[in-house]
Amino acid sequence: MNPHISEQFDAELGAARNRLMEMGGMVEKLLRDASSALLDHDAELAEQVKVADKRVNQLEVEIDEQCVNIIARRQPAASDLRTLISIMKASTDLERIGDEAGRVAKMAIRVAELEYPADQYGDFRHLAALTAEIVSKSLNAFARLDTDEAMQTIASDEAIDDAYDELVRRRSSEMRQDPGSIERDMSLIWAARALERIGDHAKNISEYVVYLVRGQDVRHRAKPTGS
Amino acid sequence: MTSDTKTNAAHPQVNWTNRETSTDAASETAIQVEDLCLYYGEQQALKNISLAIPRKQVTAFIGPSGCGKSTLLRCFNRMNDLIDNVRITGTLRLEGQDIHSKDVDVAQLRRRVGMVFQRPNPFPKSIYENVAYGLRLAGKQPRSELDDRVEWALKSAALWDEVKDRLKESALGLSGGQQQRLVIARAVAVQPSVLLLDEPASALDPISTLKIEELIHQLKSNYTIAIVTHNMQQAARVSDYTAFLYLGELVEFDRTDDVFTNPKKQQTEDYITGRYG
Repeated sequence: MNPHISEQFDAELGAARNRLMEMGGMVEKLLRDASSALLDHDAELAEQVKVADKRVNQLEVEIDEQCVNIIARRQPAASDLRTLISIMKASTDLERIGDEAGRVAKMAIRVAELEYPADQYGDFRHLAALTAEIVSKSLNAFARLDTDEAMQTIASDEAIDDAYDELVRRRSSEMRQDPGSIERDMSLIWAARALERIGDHAKNISEYVVYLVRGQDVRHRAKPTGS
Repeated sequence: MTSDTKTNAAHPQVNWTNRETSTDAASETAIQVEDLCLYYGEQQALKNISLAIPRKQVTAFIGPSGCGKSTLLRCFNRMNDLIDNVRITGTLRLEGQDIHSKDVDVAQLRRRVGMVFQRPNPFPKSIYENVAYGLRLAGKQPRSELDDRVEWALKSAALWDEVKDRLKESALGLSGGQQQRLVIARAVAVQPSVLLLDEPASALDPISTLKIEELIHQLKSNYTIAIVTHNMQQAARVSDYTAFLYLGELVEFDRTDDVFTNPKKQQTEDYITGRYG
């Protein structure tokens, strides 16, 4: 993309994009910490996640304000307009990912109190790894404006849905066999539900990348068309 | 965009006084431009332009200075005939009729295709006489009929309420924005089918500009409107279709919604986003 005649405009757009990437990095860490807190029964780390989520919320407000100011002052069109709309929408999804990570952290605190061995969460570990990966890939696709990676990421959400369904199946059957595990398993299912939603939000971010680059809206389609 | 070539075959003779019956009702094209080239002497100002301007819609022409957008607009009512050393090739059809054909009366053509310029150019006459001028040229009319038409034209141009009590006063006493609306009233008084607006608001303040834009929006229910503007936001606000010209070529012509959110050509993208092309 050629630079704008107004260098200041390039600087403003770059600043909004950088702020979104900063928010993305923060959310990635929140998600990682929330999952680790649950897997390792680390209630202290879980508390930190809840605090850090407030900073993510604040960033969303700041990014919105930044974008609104650019729209009001520059009346952007075409790719500039799509960039700003995508940044605003992506920041909303990142904020929700932060909220969901907060839910995982809440469940982590609950599970940590139950004094079960900490190594019995292979299914959750698998789901958490998939979720961390889709968030990371979506943010990479956004940073590099890489529609191929975005398309692959959109498709990979299915694996998360499958892993979640599998976890629910396994934990339900465990609860039937051992009612004593209900509290732990229900907490795990709630936490897993939050991860599954995080996958949906990450998928949204990848969809915005396709919109930003190609001007093509691929939301709510069975299969996005190729490039 | 649908091609309109068959309307010409079906209606070789344009009925200038009744445009509704002069064309194929199914056709949505008011002006069909095919392979139009224009030369000022040896210099080519328009290069193989083809496009169909839809009827009763607003089409905006944008592009940097010297890209040929005003030249193209002036082709639509043969204003370029007034300039020496101009040669035009290709065809230009208004409601199916080739406007360069021998049986076209240019004065009548310009009555069908009205034009408004960047600087308001009222005649140094009364407000009333400015609007009545074209009607008087068209033939003698009873005073009461003339009064009705002047009132109607001033109402169409959203100026009536501001001038109804001073119709006999000089038009030169009006503000710039009022003068421009008066000029539009003068143009619509003779009931054209097409209105050409060449930078109609660039000499006006923002409020007068918005009034002109609102007027354009109202006028399109009755007229086909083609507007040349340097103000891209204005093109985005008022038009249904946008044509981007660059160095005499038509780079892109599409629905305004598409041009301003997702243009197909990189040159268009660079221009409307203010980038170095």
